[in-house]
Amino acid sequence: MHLVIVGNGVAGITAAMAVRAKDPQAEITIISGESEYFFSRTALMYAYMDIMQRRDLEPYERKVFREQRLTLRKDWVVDLDAGARQLRTQGGATLSYDKLLLATGSRGRRAPWERDLEGVVRFVSLQDLDACERLTPGTRRAVVAGGGLIGVELVECLVHHRVPVTFLVREPSYWPAALSPEEGEMVAAHIRAQGVDLRLGTEVASMEGEGKVAGITTTAGEAIACQMVGVTIGVEPNVEWLRSVKTPPDLNRGVLTDQAFRTSLPDVFAAGDVAEVTGRIEPLWYAAKRQGEAAALSMMGERVEYAPPAYYNSAKFFHLEWTCAGETKGPGRFRKLPGREASVRVIERDGMAVGFSMLGTRWNHRVLVKWVEQRLRVDDVMKRLSEAQYDVEFGRVAL
Amino acid sequence: MIRDRLYHDLTNRGITGWIVAALLVWFYIALYFTENLTPWAQKVGLSSKWDLYGVLYTVVILVGGIAMIRKYGHNRYQVVRTAVVMFVQVVFAFSIPMMLKALHQPEYYLSYFWPLKFDYMNPEYLFRQPWPFVVYTLAASLVIVPLLAALFGKRWYCSWVCGCGGLANTMGEPWRHLSDKSSAAWKFEKVSIYSVLCISLALTGLLFYSWFTKSKAPEVVQFQTWYGLIVGSILSGAVGTGLYPLGGTRVWCRFFCPMAALLGITQRAGKRFHIRVKEDMCISCGLCSKYCEMGIDVRAYAQRNESFTRASCVGCGICSEVCPRGVLRLENQSGLVQISGGR
Ligand SMILES: Cc1cc2nc3c(=O)[nH]c(=O)nc-3n(C[C@H](O)[C@H](O)[C@H](O)COP(=O)(O)OP(=O)(O)OC[C@H]3O[C@@H](n4cnc5c(N)ncnc54)[C@H](O)[C@@H]3O)c2cc1C
Ligand code: SF4
Ligand code: SF4
Ligand code: SF4
Repeated sequence: MHLVIVGNGVAGITAAMAVRAKDPQAEITIISGESEYFFSRTALMYAYMDIMQRRDLEPYERKVFREQRLTLRKDWVVDLDAGARQLRTQGGATLSYDKLLLATGSRGRRAPWERDLEGVVRFVSLQDLDACERLTPGTRRAVVAGGGLIGVELVECLVHHRVPVTFLVREPSYWPAALSPEEGEMVAAHIRAQGVDLRLGTEVASMEGEGKVAGITTTAGEAIACQMVGVTIGVEPNVEWLRSVKTPPDLNRGVLTDQAFRTSLPDVFAAGDVAEVTGRIEPLWYAAKRQGEAAALSMMGERVEYAPPAYYNSAKFFHLEWTCAGETKGPGRFRKLPGREASVRVIERDGMAVGFSMLGTRWNHRVLVKWVEQRLRVDDVMKRLSEAQYDVEFGRVAL
Repeated sequence: MIRDRLYHDLTNRGITGWIVAALLVWFYIALYFTENLTPWAQKVGLSSKWDLYGVLYTVVILVGGIAMIRKYGHNRYQVVRTAVVMFVQVVFAFSIPMMLKALHQPEYYLSYFWPLKFDYMNPEYLFRQPWPFVVYTLAASLVIVPLLAALFGKRWYCSWVCGCGGLANTMGEPWRHLSDKSSAAWKFEKVSIYSVLCISLALTGLLFYSWFTKSKAPEVVQFQTWYGLIVGSILSGAVGTGLYPLGGTRVWCRFFCPMAALLGITQRAGKRFHIRVKEDMCISCGLCSKYCEMGIDVRAYAQRNESFTRASCVGCGICSEVCPRGVLRLENQSGLVQISGGR
C-alpha cells in the first residue's frame, strides 16, 4: 500500500507514525510545502522571541523519519485526480497513491480592509515568521488587529523585541468567545501592564501606504502610523487549493468527512484543522493529533467513529495562564483569588457545573473534564475545587 | 537593542560566549595548576588562592541567586530551592570551613559527600579525623544521601544543596539551554557517567584494600593522582564550569559526576520522584526540552502523555516553570496515582 499524506503538521505526522506502528510494510510519503520537517506551529512565538532556534521547533529528531521509513518531500500539491489516484505537485512531479490523507491545516484569514503591502503579516507559517523577523528591526510601531490567541502571541513577541504595539480588538471586552467580562478585564489589564496600547471595541477601517504600509485608520477615525500590521482575525481551513483541482472533494468551510474521516472521494481521507468532521472543525493542536491517530486506524480499515471528547483548552496571555474545560459561556460563579492576579469561574446550569474557566493558576483539566462529565452539583464542586489544582510544589494557591 | 544582542551572543555561543568560556577555563587552569592567583588572594587579605576561590564562588552564587529569585519570583518552588542553595553555600560551604580554619582546625565541608568529595571516603584520610566527622561522613554518604534521593529524588542534593549544582542554577542560569538534547548525547552520557562511577568505586575499593593490608602499591598511588587530576580538576572544574557558555551548565553533572550516577540509580529505584505529565495538553512546543539543563528531551515524554523519571533529572523544576500549558509537575509519591478521568 502506498499512503500519501499531504501536510506534515501534527495531524499528518501523527497519522503517518500510527500507520507505521501497525504496518511495517506500508510505503508512506509525506509531502508538504512549508517545510521539509515537521515543526511545532504552536512554538512559532518562541522562535520569533528568539528563545528557541528553528531546529528546536522540531518535535522529533530528524533520524526518526529515516528510522521509521517515512519519505518526506518538500513540495506543494496542486492537483488531485481521484479517478487516476494521482497527485501533481508544483515542482512538476506526479505521485500515485492507494490511500490519501489531506492534512493541510489552516491558514490565516484575510481581512476586508487588507491590502497587499509590504509590512502586512500573519502569524501562522514559517514564512510568516521569516517576514516578521525581517520587518522587526525597521518597525517603530506595529499594529496587531484581532484579539484571539494568535494575536496576543504576536503582540507578546513584538513587546519582547521592544517594538511599541497598538493592539486593536473588535469586541468591547477582551476575548468574549471564552472569557467573561470580569476575566476579560483582568486579561486586558495584564496586557496593558506590559506596555501594550490595547484598544477594545476598535477595528481597522483602512490601511494606508504605497507599496509599504505607512499606517492605518481605526474605526474611531484615528490615524496610526506604523510599519507593520499583524492580521490575526482568526484562521480558516486551508481548502482554497482544493477548489481548482480536477476532482475536488465535497467542501464546506473545510473538507467534509464522516466520523471515520472519509471524504466524498474514494480512499481519500482528511484530518486536522482542514477537516470538517460531521460538520465540526476543531482547530486545536490536541484535536489534530487525536484526529490524525484516529484517521490512521480508519485508513487501515478499522472501524472508527470519531466523537470529540468534552472540550478543554489552555492558553497564556503574556504571564497569565488560563485553563478551561467544558463550557465557557453562560452564568456561573466567579471568584477573584485574594492578593493575586487569578480567578476561578464555574459555569452553572440547573445547579450543575458544566464548565470551568481558570485564570492565573494551574489546573488539571482532566479532573475538571471529569467533573463536567459526571454532572456534579456546583456546590459540591466548589468545595472540592482544590483537588484539581496543579500548582508547583510549595506554590499551592489558596482558593 | 545592543544590550539584547550582546546578551543573545553571550548566551548562544556567540563570540562573547566563546571569550567568556576561554576566560573561565583559563581561570581554572590558573587556579588548579599555578600559583598566579595567590598574590591576588593576599592582596585582599586572604591566605590562599583557595580562600579567594571560596569567596568568589559564594559571591557569584549569591548574585546569581538573587537574579534567579527575581526572574522566577512567581514560582515558589524556585524561590525556596534557590534560597536553600544560597543558604547552604554561605553557611556550610563557606562560613563553617573558614571558621574552622581560623580556629586552626581542619576545614570540613559538611555539605559535600563521597563520591563527589572523593577524599572523604579515603580511609587514610577519614580514619585520622575526629570520630564525629567519621560518623557523619559514613552515615551521610552511605545511608542518608541515598535514602533521601530514594524518597525525594536526587534533586534534594543536586539542586538544593550541592555547590556545583548551586553554581549551575544561579550564575549558570543564562546558559542552561545549551545542553545537548540529541539521543546521541544521551547514549554518551550513559557510557561516560557509569564509567566514572565504576572507576571511582574501584579506586575507593583499592584504597580500602591497601589500608587493610597496610601496603599501598605504587600503581594505586598513581591511580589516585590521575583520578584527582582528571576527574577532580579537569572535568569538574575546567570542563564542568569553564564550558558553561558552550555546553550548558551541567556538563560535569550530566556526563561525569559519580555522585550523580549513584543518586540517579537511587532516584529511579525509589520510584517516588517523577515528573507528572498532564494528559493530552502538551502542544509539543519544546520549551521544556530546550530549557532542561540535563539535556533531557522532556517534550518526547510529554507529547506521549508519559509521566517519567530519568536518572539524570536533577529536579530543577525549570521544565515545569517554562511550560506554557502547565503540563509538567514535579512530584514525590509512590506509584503514579492516576487522578485523571481516563481517556
Ligand atoms: C501561532 C499559532 C499558535 C497556536 N497555538 C496553539 C495552542 O496553543 N494550542 C492549540 O491547541 N493549538 C494552537 N494552534 C493551532 C494548531 O497549531 C493547529 O491546530 C495544528 O497545527 C493543526 O495541525 P494540522 O496538522 O492540521 O495542520 P498544520 O500544522 O497547519 O499543517 C499543515 C501543513 O500542510 C501544508 N500544506 C497546506 N497545503 C498544502 C499543499 N497544497 N501541498 C503541500 N502542503 C500543503 C502546510 O503548509 C502545513 O505545513 C496554534 C496555531 C498557530 C498558528
Ligand atoms: S551531579 Fe554531582 S556535582 Fe552536580 S549537583 Fe549533583 S552531586 Fe553536585
Ligand atoms: S527534566 Fe525538568 S526538572 Fe529534570 S533536570 Fe530537566 S528541566 Fe530540570
Ligand atoms: S513545554 Fe509543555 S507544552 Fe511545550 S513541549 Fe514541553 S510539556 Fe509540551
